[in-house]
Amino acid sequence: MPRSLLNLSPRLRPVFFCAYLATQLVLVLRAQKSPDLVFGFQMFNASSDLKITLFRKVRRRGRSKVVPIRDGTWEVKDHSGVQHSYRWQDRLPRNQLATLDRFMHASYGLDAQLFRLQAALADFMLHLPGDEETEAVIAEVDTLKNGREVGHVRVQADRP
Amino acid sequence: MTALGDAFKRFFGEERDALVLGVLRLAISALLFFNGLRLILELAQSGYFADFFHMPLIPEAWVPNSSTYRLLLGVQALAALLAFFGCWPREALLTASSLGLYFLLCDRLQYHNNRYALLLLGFLLAFTPCDRSLLLVRGRTHTLPLEQRVAPTFARRLFQLQVSLVYLGSAGGKLFDADWRGGQVLLLRFLRTPEVFARHGVSLPSWSIALLSSSWFASLAAKAAIGSELFIALGIWFPRVRRLALWLGVVFHISIELSAKVELFSWLMVASYLAFVVPEVRQRRFEYVGGNRFGEWLARFVALSDWCARFERKSLTPATPGPSFYVTDRNGRRASGARGLAQLAEAIPVLFPLWLPLWLCARLRTARPTPATSSA
Repeated sequence: MPRSLLNLSPRLRPVFFCAYLATQLVLVLRAQKSPDLVFGFQMFNASSDLKITLFRKVRRRGRSKVVPIRDGTWEVKDHSGVQHSYRWQDRLPRNQLATLDRFMHASYGLDAQLFRLQAALADFMLHLPGDEETEAVIAEVDTLKNGREVGHVRVQADRP
Repeated sequence: MTALGDAFKRFFGEERDALVLGVLRLAISALLFFNGLRLILELAQSGYFADFFHMPLIPEAWVPNSSTYRLLLGVQALAALLAFFGCWPREALLTASSLGLYFLLCDRLQYHNNRYALLLLGFLLAFTPCDRSLLLVRGRTHTLPLEQRVAPTFARRLFQLQVSLVYLGSAGGKLFDADWRGGQVLLLRFLRTPEVFARHGVSLPSWSIALLSSSWFASLAAKAAIGSELFIALGIWFPRVRRLALWLGVVFHISIELSAKVELFSWLMVASYLAFVVPEVRQRRFEYVGGNRFGEWLARFVALSDWCARFERKSLTPATPGPSFYVTDRNGRRASGARGLAQLAEAIPVLFPLWLPLWLCARLRTARPTPATSSA
């Protein structure tokens, strides 16, 4: 008979069984409170769409103003005159949040994508070496929840 | 108390033939390999995931660096291959699935329910005696004799519970969502269908477009989908309706595979149904008339596709008059013709989608009075 460390003894079997089931139940219940329903086994949960438009809050001549980010890219010069260019999509390969200015399907629902967008903006702000003028990145998001209830959400990440 | 204690002992001490678990191991390890291969291709095409925006569920310090990640991906793929070929298969399954779960924890952006379900099922399968059959590295002696195959299979019950939980979670999410329950979510998907067909140069007839854009049809389809998932989740536990629940599941997943992009989900769930197959083998009989072309062709087909070893095959003498084949089920019912084919389809995985139509066809044929009977 093949031997294996994974042959649990009769005493360990109920322990393993209960521990596994309890973990699963906790994860499934916890998933209901998570915006992206992670570990919740909730497939095909929504037919919602969203459109992201990006802006930068910049400080120029002592004044703050909001400027649009066209196609997710912009260029700035640092204090030594070196030109730097930045691209939103470069931080998000294979991610649907990289799509800007047009409606796209919000997989796992609007809450999941807005949650991820907030984190993506914060991540982007951490990766702007040489950009001394951008104080915040702002996403203006148009939402369509299951084909109706057109809404608008503003998500912002400030320079840390 | 004694009855409860006996039930407890029976549940955790259950020992059954593990041959079918070997078939399940082949399927799950192949899926684990393809899941790992996708990660390798993504790494090759887009680079190391942590060089870009990612969202770890564990502390960032626990996320592997690029070279460790590459190494672990290689280990995962190798472990899945070892599990497939039967070289330390259980340990290999545990390694491949645990690494996959770790990768999910490293980046929740990579989380998809189908990937998570695959990894959990792979993990649980490692605790079953799936190392007693189809050990391909052993060549012709790939399956151990019966007395060595009988082993404790309590983890198979956990595997079955996990399958149920996947359906319950999915059905529950839809049931408690008013838009899903009411059909709004499906209506939006249906409305896009003509456009999808048009992109492939196919224009749908006007009646089907009208059907797809009607809210009552979407509402009906939503209730049918939720009902199906609930029926599969619960029906697989009751022997009287288990076969019907599994058949519905197969048809449900074929329709999902054809209409949506769900990675390996359909394959995974259909493969997981092997855990619900009665473990004991050769309890049915397939008899064919030697020299009869159809009978012999069918016998060869059964020999090739009877992966779960359901049938004892027997050749009848060529002079035997009557049908070219007979199928005897577990209850001793011997049948030929459409009913025989239905009994064959209920036990042969590749024929299983045809089981209900064949069974209904056989029922109709036996219910219809013959001309002699009606004239009498």
